[in-house]
Amino acid sequence: MFLTLQENDKRPIYQQITDGIKDLIARGELREGMTLPSVRQVAGDLGVNLNTVAVAYRQLQDEGFVTVRHGAGAVISSRSARPVGQAELYKPLQTALTQLVLSGLTGREIVETVREQLAQLQQKGGTR
Amino acid sequence: MSAPNAVGIFIFIICVIVPVLVYALVKQLWNLPLQNGRGYFLGIEVPAGFYEGPGRNWMAGFHAMVVALYGFLGVGLGAIIVMRRWEMTPVWVGGFALVFVPAMFGYHAWTRHKLGVNPPVRPMALALESRRMSDYISWPAEVLAVALVALSWCLLLHNPARHFDWETPLQLTWVALGMIPGKMAMVKLSWPLPAERAEEHYRLHEISRRFWMRISGILFEWYMVVVLLCVALLHAVSSPAHHPAPVWRWLAVASQFAVWGYGMIVMFRGIQEMKVLGRELRPDGSWKTPFGRASCFGTGREFRIWFAVWFGGVMAFIVYSISKHGFK
Repeated sequence: MFLTLQENDKRPIYQQITDGIKDLIARGELREGMTLPSVRQVAGDLGVNLNTVAVAYRQLQDEGFVTVRHGAGAVISSRSARPVGQAELYKPLQTALTQLVLSGLTGREIVETVREQLAQLQQKGGTR
Repeated sequence: MSAPNAVGIFIFIICVIVPVLVYALVKQLWNLPLQNGRGYFLGIEVPAGFYEGPGRNWMAGFHAMVVALYGFLGVGLGAIIVMRRWEMTPVWVGGFALVFVPAMFGYHAWTRHKLGVNPPVRPMALALESRRMSDYISWPAEVLAVALVALSWCLLLHNPARHFDWETPLQLTWVALGMIPGKMAMVKLSWPLPAERAEEHYRLHEISRRFWMRISGILFEWYMVVVLLCVALLHAVSSPAHHPAPVWRWLAVASQFAVWGYGMIVMFRGIQEMKVLGRELRPDGSWKTPFGRASCFGTGREFRIWFAVWFGGVMAFIVYSISKHGFK
């Protein structure tokens, strides 16, 4: 199972790792009980600082996607994030929609794109 | 001059080593720069038509270096034969290894500096598979190796009737047992993974990691354990008035060569397998990750520290041995 990190991605590295792991969880490729590699291994494989990976894992832990057990490493604990308020939940969606509108897409095109992306996610994840 | 049976053993060693080195030259070394196809020189991406232009000079330079190294080997062997200094055979083999390995690494580094100073940046993949020590290292086998080393030292120390030279057993112990932390460091070694054909690259890296761990285990750990055990057994069956019978020596040599020969077979097969697997893939070090990293031999802090300590120890033994005995 692989995460891809692009050279022209503007997001910070820890965010790319967090988002990539969440994506794999959403697709059902990372299932509950599966263990993630250690922070040290990931940092070594990427060639980045340990703290960068630790921040990504901490964020996943805070959001309830992984449980960090001493000695066992980070284990996938859930397919859904901890319950959050509607406003917080929709914030990334609003940001993404704003970007799509500003890039000149029509409402119909945006709805179509969202539908396609959702279908892809559901196809790979196999649920909902 | 050495005793006749010792001369026979040294001639046997030469007769085994020379064909292996010639085979390595013909099958592995001569076309090494082309192992990833004509788009690369020693794993460094080169423009189309390189081998019709400057590549000819690069190939000629590489061949000249290989010929010089083998010439050095040939001159040493010639000197041993002409002067009948058969006891210098281990120095000849060890000396060649000490010259050959840094020369190849040095040439590779120089080539990278000249041809591949700024490889292209490409997206990278991160494998979410955990690497656990127990998946790569057989702990019962390591315990056995330690036990055999301990047994060898017991045999050496419990025959006080005969003096033994402690340097060689100590050196063998250092090399053999030093491979245990070395293997642990190899598990932690990492290679950047390109996003394109990530699964195949990952598979090649894993095969390569297991191969290098296996070959180091055979040639540097088990071979040294067997040599040490043979030295200790020969010491145990000898006394000031009685040298072990030639048959014991031959048995010792045969057991050492069995391990060494097995190591050579594993090595040549493994290199061939990796060549086939890696033929269509992007070579390590021919690209840079988005984080500015380009590595052709893998990276790992633990590995670097281990190698510096282990290799430093080996060199210290060699320097001490030379300063004590000289080349007489």
